[in-house]
Amino acid sequence: MIDYSALLYDPIYDALGVPATLTAGATEVALTVIDDTRPTTNTSGGVEVRSVGPGAFARIPELSDNGIARDDYMDAILAFNGRAWVVRSYELRGSPNGEDAGEVRFLLKEASLG
Amino acid sequence: MADVRENILARLVEVVATIPNIRSAHRNNVDITEDQKPAVVVLDGDEEANDAQNRRSNSPVMVQMTPGIVVFATPNMDGSSLSVMRLDLIKLVLFDTGLNNLVAKSSPRGDGTIRYLGCQTDVGWSRTEFVAMSAQFQFKYALQPEQL
Repeated sequence: MIDYSALLYDPIYDALGVPATLTAGATEVALTVIDDTRPTTNTSGGVEVRSVGPGAFARIPELSDNGIARDDYMDAILAFNGRAWVVRSYELRGSPNGEDAGEVRFLLKEASLG
Repeated sequence: MADVRENILARLVEVVATIPNIRSAHRNNVDITEDQKPAVVVLDGDEEANDAQNRRSNSPVMVQMTPGIVVFATPNMDGSSLSVMRLDLIKLVLFDTGLNNLVAKSSPRGDGTIRYLGCQTDVGWSRTEFVAMSAQFQFKYALQPEQL
């Protein structure tokens, strides 16, 4: 069986990842994330507002190894690339080795605002 | 020249710009950045004339124009803040002396009116929560081709 973590995810995170700190409750762990902040557009009444949709990928095995379970994701503080964000939602990206060996994409919001 | 429609739209931009806490007001700008919020946009919108039969082509006619107004709340506002903006918007438009004079004086009978038609809200996410409201008003005025 191909080990996608060793052969795919780990080399990619070595190249593209940045150091991050995830704070969930009283637990603070260091991990590597890939910044996935994207441009986004909201529309109302035919008028568009341009902004960004902050996000970050993390490896679920790395989170699990640091004691971060899925129940800890929501409202955790994720700091990377000089900014701190709040996890407002997340989506799981399964791997051929199973979702527990895949990635999670954290959907973030500004930490200083509601 | 007395283009009542243009005068109404120009005044409408001035009026909505006075909504408390608004940072920027625009007309027909459909591309706003997050740094311009809280923002309000006036869209010229549509108008429709009440067709009258057996009258001269250039006879005065009552026109109902329906400009759109879109309000984008500030990032740390919530739905209740948008409700406050809605109240401010309705009161400012319906009670503005300038707008009421424009529609009333456009007609010899003084029967121009302003009506609030309704609103729609939108929510979503970007860097922060996205909260917006699109509102419509109807301005009934007399189009007098001779004065154009």
